[in-house]
Formats: sequence, structure tokens, C-alpha cells
Amino acid sequence: MNIEMILLGAFTGVLVLSALGVLLSKDNFYSALFMTLTLVMVATVYALFDLQPIFVLIVFVFVGVIGIVTVALAATYRAMPERQFAWIWCIPVLITAVILGFSIFTHTLHGMGRGISISSPIGFTLQGFLKPGSEYQLLFLFLTSLVILLFLSVIKIYRGEES
Amino acid sequence: MPAINLMSISLLYATSFAILLLGFLTALSSKDLIRLLIALELMFGAVFMSLIPLFAVAANPAFAASIIVIFTSAGELLVLIAAIVIQDRRVKNILVRDITAGGDKL
Repeated sequence: MNIEMILLGAFTGVLVLSALGVLLSKDNFYSALFMTLTLVMVATVYALFDLQPIFVLIVFVFVGVIGIVTVALAATYRAMPERQFAWIWCIPVLITAVILGFSIFTHTLHGMGRGISISSPIGFTLQGFLKPGSEYQLLFLFLTSLVILLFLSVIKIYRGEES
Repeated sequence: MPAINLMSISLLYATSFAILLLGFLTALSSKDLIRLLIALELMFGAVFMSLIPLFAVAANPAFAASIIVIFTSAGELLVLIAAIVIQDRRVKNILVRDITAGGDKL
């Protein structure tokens, strides 16, 4: 096992522990902080695989905006800390985990050698993605239009509520 | 930089599933809307984790998928903030049990 795999294992370990912190924390504010730490660790895993554009997107957009807004909301609506963990819901979640684990295990056992064999570093460049005439520019345009539409709908609902 | 092989893929998917299931459990146990929002963001983190192996076989579609995830997450945040503010105005709290629209009665 090389140093990169050990690093990957350490990062994913911290990731799962911080996600567990979200579940077990009583206060929403600390829960939001744990969530931000989880997302930063996800971005770090991307950086480990040399995917710098995604690292920047996650850290600046996903964590920098969405994560911080969530932390601010949790701080604004801060109430008396209360345990928000229902043991009864562990049963369906555990059943789902067992089914997922079993299906992946059987796929690995029987599907070995039939799938795509990959054992190479990731080669992704932003220049290749944003080249002129790329169909992904249309994707950007559609997504931006959808977000503007959603924004206008939210304003309409909010104004309707006010009146 | 670690290579994408069976071991790293297994590690990434196992982590992704663990975060996804913790997100499910948080969402199911949540008593207020803020915790629900946090759980949804956690699930989006799991989606990001599961996208990493896709970069090895189809880098550009994987990047497009991650951009879609970011846009979807931003939209979800927008809608939930509006929902939180409106519910706070209506019933003076943000508890999930006070939401009367949607859902099934068992």
C-alpha cells in the first residue's frame, strides 16, 4: 500500500467521522459545522486525485456559499439543543446498507474481468471541457435559465405569502 | 496522485454509501427544517464522492454532472430557505411535525 492510498484512507475516515458528527450532534449549529467539514474533506479527496477545478468549485461554491448559508441559518434559528436521532430509523437504514453491500460484493465476485479495466491516474483538463462550440455551453445556459426561473418562482411565492 | 483501481474505487464507493446512509438517517430523524437542510447537503456530498471514479472513464460528462449537482443543490437551498421563512411566519416555528402539506398518513 503506497502513501497515496494511506492518505485516501485517512481522508475518507475523517469524512465518515464528520458525517457521523452531523447525525449525533444535538445542536444544529455544530451539525452544520460538521457538514461543512465533511464537504471540505470531499473537496480534499478531489484535490488528492488532481481534480483542481472541482476542488475550487466545491470549496468556493458548495462550501463557501451553500455551506456558510446553512451555518448562518442554523445560527439564526438556534434553539434549545435536542437530540435528533431516532433509533427506530436505524433498522431500514441498516437493511439498505446490507442490501447495498451484498449487491456490490456479488458484483465484485462475479463481474470481475467483465467490466472496464481502469488502473490509471485521472486526466481531466478544464480547457478540454470549455473548448469553443462544446455542447456543454448549452448545458450552462439551460441550468442558468432554470435557476433564474426558480428564483422568480420563489419570489412570487414569497410575495403571495406577504399579501 | 492515487490511481483509480479496484481498491480506491471500493474505498470511494464505501465512503459515499456511508455518507449517503448517514444523510438518510439524519433526514429521517430530523425534527426541524434546518436539520433536514443539513441532511440534504450531506447527501449531495455523497453524490460528489461517487462521481470521482467516473472521471477516469468519462471526464467531461463527469464534470458536467458535478456542475448539475452544484446547480441542483443551489436550487434546493433556495427553495428550503423560502420554506423555512414562510413556515416561521405562519406557525412561528420551523418544526417538521407542523408541516401539513404533502406526505402520507400511515
